[in-house]
Amino acid sequence: MEERKHTSSHYEMELQEIKNGLIYIGVLTEKAIQTAMQSLTERNSDIAHKVIKDDDEIDKMDTELEERCIRILALRQPTAIDLRFITTAIKITGHLERIGDMAVNIAEKAIQLNEEPKLKPYIDLPRMADLVGEMIKNSLDSFIRNDLEMAEEVRRTEQITDDLNEQIFRELLTFMMEDSRTIHRSLMVMQVSKNLERIADHAKGIADMVTYMVTGECVRHQTYALGEKEPA
Amino acid sequence: MKRNLFFKILFSYLVIVCLSFFILDLLIKDEIKKVMTDKIEAELLSYAELIDLSSAQKMSDQLKQIALISSARVTLVDAQGRVFADSEKDIAQLENHFSRPELQEARLKGKGKSIRFSQSIGVDMLYVAIPMKSESPITGYIRLARPLHDVQNVIEKIYQSIFLAMMIVAVIALFIALIFSYRLAAPIRALERFTERLRQGHPVGAIFLETSDETKMLADNINYLVDELQSQIRLANEEKSKLMTAFTSMTEGVLILNAEDKIEFVNQALSNMLADQYEDINGKTLMEAFLNADLQKSFLKFKATHSTILEEVTLGSVDPVIVSVSISSVHNYPGEEKVMVVFHDVTMVKKLEKIRVDFVANVTHEIRTPLTAIIGYLETINAGAINNIDDVKRFIDISLKQARRLNRLVEDLLVISKVELGEIKLHFEAVSIRDVFLGALPLFEAQAGLKKLNIQNNFQQNLPHILADRDRLTQILVNVLDNAIKFTPEDGSIFIDVGQKDNHVVLTITDTGIGIPKEEVQRLGERFYRVDRSRSRDLGGTGLGLSIVKHLMIAHDGRMEIESQLGRGTKVSLFFSMVKI
Repeated sequence: MEERKHTSSHYEMELQEIKNGLIYIGVLTEKAIQTAMQSLTERNSDIAHKVIKDDDEIDKMDTELEERCIRILALRQPTAIDLRFITTAIKITGHLERIGDMAVNIAEKAIQLNEEPKLKPYIDLPRMADLVGEMIKNSLDSFIRNDLEMAEEVRRTEQITDDLNEQIFRELLTFMMEDSRTIHRSLMVMQVSKNLERIADHAKGIADMVTYMVTGECVRHQTYALGEKEPA
Repeated sequence: MKRNLFFKILFSYLVIVCLSFFILDLLIKDEIKKVMTDKIEAELLSYAELIDLSSAQKMSDQLKQIALISSARVTLVDAQGRVFADSEKDIAQLENHFSRPELQEARLKGKGKSIRFSQSIGVDMLYVAIPMKSESPITGYIRLARPLHDVQNVIEKIYQSIFLAMMIVAVIALFIALIFSYRLAAPIRALERFTERLRQGHPVGAIFLETSDETKMLADNINYLVDELQSQIRLANEEKSKLMTAFTSMTEGVLILNAEDKIEFVNQALSNMLADQYEDINGKTLMEAFLNADLQKSFLKFKATHSTILEEVTLGSVDPVIVSVSISSVHNYPGEEKVMVVFHDVTMVKKLEKIRVDFVANVTHEIRTPLTAIIGYLETINAGAINNIDDVKRFIDISLKQARRLNRLVEDLLVISKVELGEIKLHFEAVSIRDVFLGALPLFEAQAGLKKLNIQNNFQQNLPHILADRDRLTQILVNVLDNAIKFTPEDGSIFIDVGQKDNHVVLTITDTGIGIPKEEVQRLGERFYRVDRSRSRDLGGTGLGLSIVKHLMIAHDGRMEIESQLGRGTKVSLFFSMVKI
């Protein structure tokens, strides 16, 4: 794939532009998650509003990229790996757009939480956010480099975020049982955690698409526990 | 090369030989034929004259004889063309000969000849005829006919000789061609070898040929070109190395994108700048390499406008580097436009800008706080409190305290600016750090006693003296110790360690105080920088203590290092230069 060269350099450029566009959206969504989490931990609602506003750009980029992919499908009629690349790109941009929406969800929750007294210092949540950010970055990296190993790594990390979500859930449950005044806030924090977990799912989805793009093999619905030998 | 040349020369020689043969053939073949035929004709005529024409009987007798000696066919024809005697054929079978061209010619001119192809023997026949009587009326004709075998034979012989000569010439031509081609090719081959070496980039001097023809001129020209080329290459290399040196030694990061927008060159400064955050970025697009939306946005803007773009971009999320990015096109060949991106690290500039802004804000704040208090109390007194002597006394006490604080602040600031400007005169002398320290320690005994602090000092034996200004050294130690005592809670400990390390005397003051957050450590030493504003001001600091220490240490050609752990304590190390003995 690295060595791929088309006779039409313009076609080549178009494919590269799609790749760049995807990374662009990816970077924006990653930043959105980061900022949303920052607004939560630093109790700064201004930047949360910015996240909500900036999501428009992600949405715009998403539709634009999809249109460009469809134009290539129509005009160039790609085959083999190019066809997989284009279809993968369409799916990945969908994932990224959803991730952007979830960052907005987190930002909205952050604004509400910031209006109420601090529930507790956030420890697991930022850790989870870091992991999720890393996952998006790695999934895009694997996309850039056609790196199957990195895609595999993303799939593995997804398990950890699931566990973290579970842990946060249990912790907040005890909070709520001890003091009913914390229920509202706890539920909101839980939703943040749930959103992060969903983002991790989407990152895994991207990694699956990368595997499909490189190998042509569908790994989307295979699940395996952490540490278990990966399916052949 | 040589073979080619050889064949070319040989071929041209052979063409010349063949051509000359052909022309020879054209020119001489007919001539020879004519001469030979004339000769035979004359001979036959003379035989014809021999025949006695007096009587028919005699003629018939002579016929055989003549035919024998002349080796020709002899025919006698009467005036009407009827054959009445023939040396070879039966006259009864012969037709009328009157229409034959030789007879007609003989009738008109006195003698006649004709060459005709004879079907029966397959060669040309020469027919000669004369009238039987030299005066008219003509009574008959004598005709002699002889095949032209001889002519053919002679011609064939001549041709054989010519062919032989041609073969010899051809063989000679072969040798000449060989020699010529060799002699011609030798200098050309030499030139070819020379240029081949040049093409492969081997060092070549000049080529000298022993010929004096065109090849010599060619060699001279090539020598000239090689000279020119090499000086051009040298010039280009020089330019290139100048540029490369500039690129590698400049502090700005530079990268160049090729026509496909992929990174094809990264200079050292940029690799260093990005070393922590990015892997090898060669061959990637800007987006792939930097994963930075702002940078990509600037790049797309440049792509759209093609005019130089100057933007500020923050690279990396951990330990971010703020760079001012300039994107411009490198004008190259049309259609293959390259783009140069220059990264100028402005992180430090930004930081300094922040320090400056903070400083102004801090100074005004620090000055305003005591002033507000003083003005407030004075106004209260002015408004009527002057009558209550107790209040007045209390207010004046407070005002005085604030005024002193203001004074201390201004003095500290003065010290700093003087040290910074180098206006302060330091009286360097060899000083025992131990003496100075023990001299300063009593100042804090009361304070330390109050907080029940445990102060331990551990001085290495036989420490060398250091070069310092005694008063300023005292100030340094007082400031550092003051901080240690101020920020250590009750029942804490302070350890003072003085030792020697490399070429320095190192004084370390370790406390079990509140510590400083990691990210704040590097900002200590900035004027008015406080970790926890409200708290340290309560403790009576001006926010300038460590800043003074830092600058005084620099003036002493030493340095200050601070390590700290939040909640555990802080370790301040002061490095002084030893006195060289």
